[in-house]
Parts: sequence; structure tokens; C-alpha cells
Amino acid sequence: MNEELDSQLSAMFDDELLPAECELLARRLSRDEHLKARWGRYAIMGAVIRAERGVRLNAPLAGRVNAVLLAEPALAADAAPRHRNQARLRWWQPLAGAAVAAGVATVSIMWLRAQAPLSATPLVTQVTAPGRVTAPTASGSGQGDSYVVPRPKPAAALVPSTELANYVVAHSMFSSPVARRNLLSAFMTSESPAAGAQEPKNDAKAIAQ
Amino acid sequence: MSADASDLSLVRRVQRGDKGAFDALVLKYQHKLVKLVMRYVRNPAEAEDIAQEAFIKAYRALPQFRGDSAFYTWLYRIAINTAKNAVVSRDRSPVEYDLDRNNNDESYDMQGRMKDSETPEGLVLTDEIRSTVNAAIDALPEDLRTAIVLRELEGLSYEEIAAAMDCPVGTVRSRIFRAREAIDRRLREVFEGGLGRAEELG
Repeated sequence: MNEELDSQLSAMFDDELLPAECELLARRLSRDEHLKARWGRYAIMGAVIRAERGVRLNAPLAGRVNAVLLAEPALAADAAPRHRNQARLRWWQPLAGAAVAAGVATVSIMWLRAQAPLSATPLVTQVTAPGRVTAPTASGSGQGDSYVVPRPKPAAALVPSTELANYVVAHSMFSSPVARRNLLSAFMTSESPAAGAQEPKNDAKAIAQ
Repeated sequence: MSADASDLSLVRRVQRGDKGAFDALVLKYQHKLVKLVMRYVRNPAEAEDIAQEAFIKAYRALPQFRGDSAFYTWLYRIAINTAKNAVVSRDRSPVEYDLDRNNNDESYDMQGRMKDSETPEGLVLTDEIRSTVNAAIDALPEDLRTAIVLRELEGLSYEEIAAAMDCPVGTVRSRIFRAREAIDRRLREVFEGGLGRAEELG
């Protein structure tokens, strides 16, 4: 027997061998019966030195465990499919998430288009309506929250579009790029050049609330 | 040096389907585990049965072992739970009373309830192994004996032994190995001469 190998075995038994060397020796130990028998005797020496009384040092426990495990499938056969399933799940999870997000975005766009062809006022009405608070569009009339926005006066017609722009900007973090682009392009086509001058300062904050 | 690296390398091999690596883990820890279980049951044969069950449970649960704790710590918990369950189920089963038995007589546990496999020859061989190892340790040069005893009895790391013996870690490793080799030479004779015979008898 190679003395260096035995020395490594002794160090490995004491958890004092480098991990890389452990890997190599573990492979050999699992296959080499002589090495394994020596390993078992090292354990017996320890048991005697620690005076483990009542423990049968020649008990064929390892043989009994081995005999039971012979009937068991090797762990890799069990573990591999689970790892594969987990890998498959991990692979599908982002795709499924993206698919759901894309579906929601598509439905939103189609719903918006069906509800509001690209004309200025109705689009603003429909987009702002689902917001929590419609007060900024109510021109201070004291009305409560409502999903029906009063028809705006001609002078105030541009304000909701501005609010929409603010809303889109304020929520750009949470909206999909497609929906954002759609709304902004609608806004651009409907907005008059004078609109920017009348932009209320606190709209984004009010809508965000 | 990473602690538990040797156990972990064996565990990883088992997880990849190498049952031989699990055999090495059983060989390493069987005595410790039986000793542990004997805190709950005093009969060595029953303790061996429980230890065997604990090893098998551990094998089946190894795919879930991630190595967050040391393998022996994990195995220790499985063995404790298995022993507790065994004691509970034994207490629920009907008791066979032996009116002649003295309750304080520990020899009843040790010998009266021996399994068939626990033959007198087996017990003699255990004593023979014990006396052989002790005699071999007594015959060791002092530096080898100190090194192996500090390691096995006190559980010191090589670094701690090196500090205690005022020598390099490499010397400690060499001393422990040489001590084991010297003991193993004598132990092998016992095993080659007696263990095979005992197993045939058992």
C-alpha cells in the first residue's frame, strides 16, 4: 500500500485533508475495499481510545446497512429527474411571466383601441376614468369620485391630455413600453401647441395619489 | 482547511449515485451513532438496530442534504429522532414481565436480551479488539501516543495539537498516521484471524 495514500487517508479521516484531495480520495475510497477496511479500523481505534463502552466493535452494522441499501435505487437516479424538473421549471418561469405580461399588455391595448379610437377627448376620458381620483378633471365642482367624467368645457379640453401625459410620466415605471408609447402618441396627436402653457403643476402628484 | 470537507466529498459522491461512498460514512460513524443511541436504549443490539434505521433514513434523505451543517450533525439529529420514536413505540407495545429479574441489573440489558447475532464469540472478539488496541497504544512512542490521544480523545484539530506539542502541523499529521499504522498492524491480525470466524458464527 502506498504510504502517501495511507497518510492522506488518515488525514481525511480527521477532516484535515484539502478539499481537492478529499474529492480524489473519496472516489478511490468508495471503490477500494482494502482502503475502506483500513478506514473502518481507524474508526474502531477511535472508539477504543474514547472508551465507548457497550458498543460492539465488530458489529457488522455497515454490512447490514449495505445489504438494505443494495435493494434501494441509487440516489442519482432519484435525484436527477427532480433536478431536471427544477431546471425545467426555472427555465419556464421567466417565459411564463413574460407571456402573462405580454398578454395583459395586448388585452389592455386592444381594449383601449376598442374603447377609444384616436380622438382626443374620449381617449382622455377613458384613460383617466379608471384612475382612483378624477377630481383634477372635475374642475373643482365638488363632485365625488366617478367613472363618468363630465364633458369638459372647450377651454379646459386640453387639461386632461396634460394630466394624461403627467400620469403616463409618473407611472412610466409601471407601464409597458408599448402601452406607454401608444398613449404618448395619442397624446401627441391630440395635443395643441398651447397645451404646455396651461399644464397644472400638481397633476402628477394628484393622480399618483 | 475546510471543516467537514472529507464527509462532504463522500456525501456528494453518494448524491451522485455512489453507494460505496455511503459505506465509508457508515464505517466512520457507526460506533459514534450506536454510542449516541445508547443514551436512549441500553441494549446494544437494539441500539444497533436503531442506528441502522437512522443510517437508512439518512441515505434516503441525502438528496435534501445541502451541506449547510456538518454531515455528522445532520446524522446526529436523525439518529436522536429515530431513537426517540423507537422508545415511544416500544413503550406502547405490550411489556413482557420477568418477575425474576432485578430491575437494577444492567447485565439483563447487556446480555439477557441479546439477539441471536450477538454471540459470546462476538463479545469476546470485541474485548480482544479493545485489548489489542489498548496494548498497541501503550507500546507507542510517547509523541505518537500523545498525538493520537489528543486527536481521538480530546477531538483537537491538527493545528491545536501542533500548538500543544510545539511542532509543525505536518509533523502532527505524520505522527497520527504513524500511530494509526502501528495500531493497525496489530489490529489487522485480530480481524484476519478472528473477525471472519465470528461473522461465520454469527
